[in-house]
Amino acid sequence: MRICPNCQYGNREGILFCEDCGQPMAGVPATATRQLNPKDLPQQVKNDLWGSAHFGTQASVILHVRDVPEPIVVQPNPRVVLGRIDLTTQSTPDLDLSPFGAQEKGVSRVHAAFERADESLMLTDLSSVNGTHLNGQRLSPNQPRVLRDGDEVRLGKLILNVYFM
Amino acid sequence: MSSAPDYYMIMGVAPDADSESIRIAYRSMARRLHPDVNHNPGAATQFRDVTSAYAVLNDPIERQKYDMSRRREIGGNYFTMRVTSSQRSLALLDEPQVLYLLVELLPERARNAQQLETYLNLTLVLDHSTSMKGSRLERVKVAANQIIENLNEKDIFSIVAFSDAAEAIVRAAPLSDKPGAKARVAIMQAFGGTEIHQGLEAGMAENRRHASKRYVNHIILLTDGRTFHDEQQTLELAERAAKEGVGISAMGIGDEWNDTFLDQLASRTGGTSEYINSPLAVVRFLNERVRTLGQSYAERITVSIAPDSDIKVESAFRLQPSPQPMNAESDPVPLGALQIGGATSVLFQLQVSPLTNLGPRTLARVDVTGDILREQKIGYKVIRDMDTEVKESQTLEEPPLPIMDALNKLTMYRMQERAEHALARGDVREATKHLKNLATRLFSAGQNDLAQSALDEAQRVSSTHALSGEGQKALKYGTRLLIAPTSSAAE
Repeated sequence: MRICPNCQYGNREGILFCEDCGQPMAGVPATATRQLNPKDLPQQVKNDLWGSAHFGTQASVILHVRDVPEPIVVQPNPRVVLGRIDLTTQSTPDLDLSPFGAQEKGVSRVHAAFERADESLMLTDLSSVNGTHLNGQRLSPNQPRVLRDGDEVRLGKLILNVYFM
Repeated sequence: MSSAPDYYMIMGVAPDADSESIRIAYRSMARRLHPDVNHNPGAATQFRDVTSAYAVLNDPIERQKYDMSRRREIGGNYFTMRVTSSQRSLALLDEPQVLYLLVELLPERARNAQQLETYLNLTLVLDHSTSMKGSRLERVKVAANQIIENLNEKDIFSIVAFSDAAEAIVRAAPLSDKPGAKARVAIMQAFGGTEIHQGLEAGMAENRRHASKRYVNHIILLTDGRTFHDEQQTLELAERAAKEGVGISAMGIGDEWNDTFLDQLASRTGGTSEYINSPLAVVRFLNERVRTLGQSYAERITVSIAPDSDIKVESAFRLQPSPQPMNAESDPVPLGALQIGGATSVLFQLQVSPLTNLGPRTLARVDVTGDILREQKIGYKVIRDMDTEVKESQTLEEPPLPIMDALNKLTMYRMQERAEHALARGDVREATKHLKNLATRLFSAGQNDLAQSALDEAQRVSSTHALSGEGQKALKYGTRLLIAPTSSAAE
C-alpha cells in the first residue's frame, strides 16, 4: 500500500493518482509489506533500494548552472527556496540566482524549492511565471516531485543540473 | 473480402512450426485461458479462438488445406497496435497492485493516404416531444438540413421522428432527393412525451435495411428528455445493434435527460454520448459528429482483453476518438471507428493479485478486430501477447508519459464520478470533499470555468444535499472532453 502524500489515503500499489484526492502520487514506489529498516542496510543495498533518488539525511545538493564553471552547494534544512532578489520589495530567496542572469532568463522572485522528505529530495514549483521543468517536463505548480541524482531542472530559461553528495 | 483469421497468429507460433510446438503452444494457452482457471470474460473469447485454430492446425489434412488458402491471401498490415504498460515489471508483493495498459491503434500510413470515399449509412433519431418546442426543435431542423446538404448522394440516409410514437419521416435510401428530405424535416412539430425505445427501434429498422460491412452504419439519437420503463429494453436493443455492427451516438440537450442511460447506450455500441448545453450548440455538435463518421478508416473496432487468471480488468476508458467510459464487463468491448490520420486508444486498469513467484510471466492477450472500409477487408485482426517480469522490488522509473498524461486528465473525470457516487450513498461530506478536490485539480490545469462550477456545486451539495442538473452534466461532460488530446467540440 502507498500513502498519498497529500491526503494520507492508502492507495494500492501501482496507483499513479490518488484514488481519494486525485493528486499525483509523489515519491518512490515502496516495497510495501516487507518492513525493511534502511538504517540497518549497507549503503550499497540502500542505493539499490532507492536507486538514484536516495538522498541521505546528511547529503547536500550540488547545482551546476549551465555555462557556469563553479558549482553551487546547498543544504536543504529542510527547505531551500530558489529565486532572485528583488530590491523593491526586499524579498530574498534562500538561493539568489541573480548572478547567473536570472532576470533575463525569466526566473521568478520566488520560483521553486528543494525540500528534504525522509530520504529523498523533492522539487516544487512555487507558481512561477515561466514554470519549472524537470527533465523537460513542466511541473504542475505546488506539486512536489522526487528528484534524482543527475536530473536536469529548468527555471524559466535557466538550466541547472542537480547532483547529490 | 472477408478472410479467415490467421491461425498461426492466434496460436502464437510461426507458420512453419512443427506439430509438437503447436501442441505445446496450445497447452500453454489452455493453462492461461481455459474458462475453468480464468474467469475473465475476455479469456473465454480468446480460448474459443485458440481452440478453433488448434482444431485446424493439429489436423495435418486440414492444416494443409488452410495453408494453401492462406498463401493465396495477400497479407498486409492495415493498422498497427501498440500496447504500453504503466510498469515494465511487477513487484513481488503479497497485496494487490494496479497496472495500466494503454492500447493504441494507428492506421497504416501508406494506406491512410489513399483518398477513397467512406460511405455512411446514417439514421437520425430525433426527439420531437413537447419539451423540444421552440428553439430546440428549430435548431435540430437547421442541423438536419445541413447534414442532408453535406451528405454524398451515395450515402444512405434516414430520419426517424419520435415522441410517444415513432415515424420514419425519411425512409432509408441513397440520398438522391435532398429537397424532399428537407421538406419532411420542415413539417416536424413538437408534441407528446419521450419514449426512446420506440424511436430507436424504428431507427434500427431503417438502418438495418441497408446495413453493410462496407458502410459506416450509425444512428444518432437526439433527445432532451427522460424515457420511462423502457430503459432496460433499450439497452438490450443497443446490444443487438452492436452485434449487427450498428453504432449509436446519443446527444442530450438541456439537463432533463438521463446521462447514465445515454452513456451506457453509446458505450455498448462503440458510439459517443455528448451533452449539448444550449440549443445554439445543436448544429455544431450534430455536424461535427457526422463529419467525424465520414472520416472513418476502419469501423466496428472491438478489443478483447484476456488477462491471466490472477489479473482482473477493473475499468476501460476510450481516450480517442471521443473520450467515453466503456463497459469493462462486456467482451469484446466495442470501440467504434479508427479515423484517417487519427488514432483509437483505450486505457485499461487492471488489478494484479498478490504475487508469489519471481521471474518472467505472461500478463494479458489483447486482440483487436475491425473492418477496413476502404480496403473492404472485413474482420482484420491483430493480437498482442503482453509479458512482464516479477522482480523482488519495484524498479524506479517514471511511468510512460502517454499513460501519465491520460491518467492525469482521467482522474478529474473519476473525481466527479466519485462525488456522484458519494452523494448517491447519502454521504454529503465525502461528495463535498471530492468536488473541492476536483476544483483544485481543475484550477491547476487552467480550467477555471469548470473549477468554478465544481466549487459552486460543492457549495450547493453542502447546503441542499444535491447537485444541480446543469452543474452535474457540465462537470461530467466537461471533464470528459478534457481527456481528448485535441478537444474537437469543446465549449
